[in-house]
Amino acid sequence: MNFEKAREILISAAKAAELTEYEIYYIQSESVAAETLKDEISSFSSSVEGGISFRCISNGKMGYASSELFEKEEMEALVKRAISNAENMDGDDVPEIFRGSESYPKPTHKAPADISAATLKEVALELQKKTYGESEYVADGTQSGAFVSKMDVALSNSYGLELRNTLGTCGSYVQAVINRNGEAESEFKLCEGFEGEKYDSMSKRAVEGALEKLGATEVDSGKYDIVFSAKEMKSMLSTFSSVFSGKMAHEGLSLLAGKVGEKIAADCITIVDDPMREGSSMQTSFDGEGVATYRKNVIENGVLKTLLYDLATAKKVGVVSTGNGHRGSYTSPVSIAPYNFYIKGGEKTREELMAGVEKGIYITELKGLHAGANAVTGDFSIESAGFLIENGKLGRAVKSFTVAGNFFEMLRSIEDISSNVDFSFGSLTSFGSPDALVRNMSVAGK
Amino acid sequence: MIINEKIIPEVLAVAMSGGADFAEIFAQRSRTNSINYLGGKIDNISDNVISGVGVRAFIGTKTVYASTTDISREGLLRCAESVAAAMGESRKTALSNIVLTPTAVNNAHTVKTYPSDVETKVKADILRSACSAAKEYDSLISQCTGTYLDVDRTILVANTEGLLVTDRKIRTRLIVSAVASRDGENQSGMCGPGAGMGMEFFDTISPEETGKHAARQAITNLKADYCPAGQMTVAIENGFGGVIFHEACGHSLEATQVGVGMSEMCGKLGQKIANEKITAIDDGTIVNGWGSSNIDDEGNPTQRNVLIENGILKNYMIDRLGSRRMGMPMTGNSRRQNYGFEPTSRMTNTFIDNGSDKNEDIIASIEYGLYAKEMGGGSVNPLTGAFNFAVKEGYIVRNGKICEPVRGASLIGTGSQILEDIDMVGQNLATGQGMCGSSSGNVPTDVGQPLIRVSKITVGGR
Repeated sequence: MNFEKAREILISAAKAAELTEYEIYYIQSESVAAETLKDEISSFSSSVEGGISFRCISNGKMGYASSELFEKEEMEALVKRAISNAENMDGDDVPEIFRGSESYPKPTHKAPADISAATLKEVALELQKKTYGESEYVADGTQSGAFVSKMDVALSNSYGLELRNTLGTCGSYVQAVINRNGEAESEFKLCEGFEGEKYDSMSKRAVEGALEKLGATEVDSGKYDIVFSAKEMKSMLSTFSSVFSGKMAHEGLSLLAGKVGEKIAADCITIVDDPMREGSSMQTSFDGEGVATYRKNVIENGVLKTLLYDLATAKKVGVVSTGNGHRGSYTSPVSIAPYNFYIKGGEKTREELMAGVEKGIYITELKGLHAGANAVTGDFSIESAGFLIENGKLGRAVKSFTVAGNFFEMLRSIEDISSNVDFSFGSLTSFGSPDALVRNMSVAGK
Repeated sequence: MIINEKIIPEVLAVAMSGGADFAEIFAQRSRTNSINYLGGKIDNISDNVISGVGVRAFIGTKTVYASTTDISREGLLRCAESVAAAMGESRKTALSNIVLTPTAVNNAHTVKTYPSDVETKVKADILRSACSAAKEYDSLISQCTGTYLDVDRTILVANTEGLLVTDRKIRTRLIVSAVASRDGENQSGMCGPGAGMGMEFFDTISPEETGKHAARQAITNLKADYCPAGQMTVAIENGFGGVIFHEACGHSLEATQVGVGMSEMCGKLGQKIANEKITAIDDGTIVNGWGSSNIDDEGNPTQRNVLIENGILKNYMIDRLGSRRMGMPMTGNSRRQNYGFEPTSRMTNTFIDNGSDKNEDIIASIEYGLYAKEMGGGSVNPLTGAFNFAVKEGYIVRNGKICEPVRGASLIGTGSQILEDIDMVGQNLATGQGMCGSSSGNVPTDVGQPLIRVSKITVGGR
């Protein structure tokens, strides 16, 4: 049974149940991946997954149910389950099935490429060979891989709104493992696509990155000026992104509540949510409720301009949806999330950013952010690794220390940022950031 | 019947036709109910049916895996065909003599009341009473969020060795997070008990106590100062404190890592890798355990595996691929979040066993250090053994006495080092429930230990 057939059954079951407001949300995804070990393809995987979510307003409350089982009885049961779930909601929300935006932006991303299994295997084997060729210290356990994924999203509701988006990406990675005199280290590099400078240099960067970590020593506990690498600052932004949710703020779970219009970050900080960001392969013109997406500055030169909203929260606090009613999957209800969320780059190169640091640490790895950071309090204490900065220059590798602080304090005290912005890719919500310099942070080491 | 069993031999035969030496089919049907509480009310209810199949084939240590939600005969054959095509070996004629022998599973994890037999209202009320108790605990509690969860997971595993087995696992959980606020500052507390049980689980715990526990922790943290940074002696309490072994050592003992030389524990079988006070066990058979099941996701019975005995490394946790790579027997540890993931070796219920030290002696032995009463999650790099995890509730210990609370601490170190540095092991073994994320997705795992002492570890604070 395909989506069209399932939708037909759902619509007639909804009519039979006398529902007037409902929505059908469907995602079908396909992915293929090849991975190497030593000099051969060690694993190859493919998946075709699809599921459907039905939600409806019954007695003024919203109910959801989803299934991956495309059978007639199951689709009919889905409608009954959604109605029953609506009954059990407490609901002071005024639920809404959306009638549609006036217009929707046009995606400029290319249709996902058709990439054959043979190409993926070739790419993975070629990367693996290059990686082994980079250094005599490359050890078994080193893996290279290539993948392609495609996603088809469809939203259809009782007001005749019909939206569809096809998106996808492909990419490759190298996990270089090196072993020199019994000391092992590894470095993971990932890049979108199978060409260009980033791709060509990936093996080299992975091996060099792992080699540079060898002999890393501990640091003394104390206060240091910290430069977070773009990649790690991006992870930090991702970890704390829920603080920009209008719902979290409304419920007292974000300390940004009531701060719109106030200065909450340093002058150099502008944070943008741009769902249609040029160059992104995951552009989306509508959110999980069918609201048109648009670009907005969430923070502009340090001032909080807006929080992010879905329909229900927007109505509750008297604003309009910002098109951030997100569906992570058909299994999850609407939540609030950004799409392409990034800190805008500054003027300086990374070297210029470091030039003003006399004694500091360039942090290239933050680990366990899911555990060591708390978005409700803003506090973090995170295992880190990186390199000393001495008199403006990169020094020896350091590891086994934590950097601790508070996200909200950190936003205010970022002294400067670099011009290079590192973006993540491959999912509907992606993040980006330049390198960021923060003075006088607590480091626990020896 | 979650898929038509009659077509399984045909699907396996097609999967083998790419020159494979072994093929397996994994089918799953799960019903998941989760209810979320926020802002004094039920905020949303998720109700999902997960249904799909994964087909896998081996040639030696090479594997091909394909998964699909299309469980029609055509869908399954297409899935198997893609496995055969990807093998890329010379095509063989499909086998026609695959005979499956249905194996009955002896269910060790009795369920009294299946969640599917209970109305959503009853479940929502459990959550309401837990969250209300948290909110009413103290006027400083500004917000409470909670989740009620039940999962009813049926699996079928069949393979070309003739295995055909099905199993059903139920798990239930209640999680409450409380936020305490004062002067523009938030602090949080959490409590999340779960079990491999039906609705009777909620008779074994008190939802109200779960809520109060979270609230008390949030209040404690609100009144605490930041934890000082540096190396110190740390006592880690029982229950979820066992996350220290899970991260610092458990992952490094999984064949996923060991089988490809990516673990600091490679080649150390039979060697002393830990303080002789440490005996550590992974036991997927614990009755109604959060991480238990009758069979693993490759259809093998789960086992009690002694990993470390008196400091000596005794065994790894090994799935089928790991078994082929390492030349060692499988240990019933193959797990996956769902059919969309190729399975790999994972922990089940993993804990440090009771030791010989008295709990009061452990605290009394610390001149200055940290008492980590409750731990949060963490992560590890198995290659180097470098790990981290968060302390959710901690206290300074001075002159053998537990003193003022401190907040925002984390602990970091390396697995091999901390295994030597755990120098006292107490006697109050208890477990805590978590979700472990790795290459085969998120699976429920229990962690556990009695109170332990780590002679020296880096405490991240400020």
